[in-house]
Amino acid sequence: MAALRSRKVVELFYDVISPYSWVAFEVLCRYQTRWNIDLQLRPFFIGGVFKETGNKPPALLAAKYTYAQHDLRRLADFYKIPVKMPPMERLMRRENVNSNRLLTAVTLDCPEHLENLSRELWMRVMARDQDITEPASLETAATAAGIPSDTTPQLLSRIRDDDVKAALKDTTNQALAYGAFGAPTIVAHIEGTPVMIWGSDRFPLLAHLLGERWEGPLREMAKY
Amino acid sequence: MAAPTRKSVEFFYDVLSPYTWLAFEVMCRYQQKWNIDLKLRPFFLSGIMQGADNRPPGMVPAKATYMGKDLKRLTDMYQVPFKLPSNPAEVMFIKGSINAGRFLTAVDMNCDQYLEELTRQLFLRIYYRDEDITEPASLMSAAAKAGIPEDLAKQLLSTIKDQAVKDRLRQNTQAALDHGAFGSPTIVAHVDGKPQMFFGSDRMELMAHMLGEKWYGPLPELAKAKM
Repeated sequence: MAALRSRKVVELFYDVISPYSWVAFEVLCRYQTRWNIDLQLRPFFIGGVFKETGNKPPALLAAKYTYAQHDLRRLADFYKIPVKMPPMERLMRRENVNSNRLLTAVTLDCPEHLENLSRELWMRVMARDQDITEPASLETAATAAGIPSDTTPQLLSRIRDDDVKAALKDTTNQALAYGAFGAPTIVAHIEGTPVMIWGSDRFPLLAHLLGERWEGPLREMAKY
Repeated sequence: MAAPTRKSVEFFYDVLSPYTWLAFEVMCRYQQKWNIDLKLRPFFLSGIMQGADNRPPGMVPAKATYMGKDLKRLTDMYQVPFKLPSNPAEVMFIKGSINAGRFLTAVDMNCDQYLEELTRQLFLRIYYRDEDITEPASLMSAAAKAGIPEDLAKQLLSTIKDQAVKDRLRQNTQAALDHGAFGSPTIVAHVDGKPQMFFGSDRMELMAHMLGEKWYGPLPELAKAKM
């Protein structure tokens, strides 16, 4: 009988206001059926990471923002993910933290909905240029993600709870402890050692470190 | 049937940038596999940073820490003999690369058949042997290793403060800025008559897709950088 290799844990720290986080999310969701990994989704707060590290959102530099618009258009085609760089005023809204808190509440209360809700929030803000800060927006997203509508009001109210705020802060601090300075932050646990990788452009390296094969974008597995 | 015309790929670079060495070696390997015409365009990274109002990434401590590990992992995987200098801040932020950039430009203008190997020798100095690239003796040593005859190297070195050389370096820098550059490397692939600008060393597979070429990974068997 072949020995069962235990799955390697791969943590994905992400913020739904980060377009490159969506790319990493979809790629890892596709590869969790190909690689012997245990993908753990960790919604965090990129604003907290920038504050702690002194790093700045790349979008604040005009040349980088312009480049990212082209880059994401090409990546959208390459990966078959309908991602677009949102307008600056959506990127910079302080109330974006509401969506981080909602995802944290889902992580605590009904984690089976975390993947779908994350995807739905990205679809709103990145594909359809829709709001993800207002209660009505978040309720619509929760319902679209398959969360039963009788539980959504209670779930939305959790955004203001202390334990949810603390859990979001805690997850963000965990990412910082791994050396994070941006999003997405991927932490692969390889033979007991956490290996932190930043961005959505290190998948061939990640495969190499995990002892797996990179098979490209796997567009046929796109959910769009 | 006529062979399809080679697609032009411009590689704008400064040897001061470590990720640029990785990208450079990958492009040199792939020019043997892809139907491309690789044009090396030395530019001045400091000028790019100024023009784009950008800062070197290493100025964020957590980023600098990460980049050291990232470069080691990537260069191991790609088999490029990279080693971080003992004092990276001094190398990158204080000593700079203006003389190296102008020397590369002079070579590009007069005997560009040596440009690839001179570029490689400068990278090996700064990012393998932790050696200087600012002094005349350093540039002469790199030129010798690149196979440039001593008389020619001496003559080109004497021109690096000439207006024509300064202008050409400035033009390359401006051309990159006009394509939207904010760092090094800046790669411009001309696809269906349109310039596609790629920043960094991690868009090669995407570039392959857009060029209609195949991505084969690191291709270490085609490596040219020897220690």
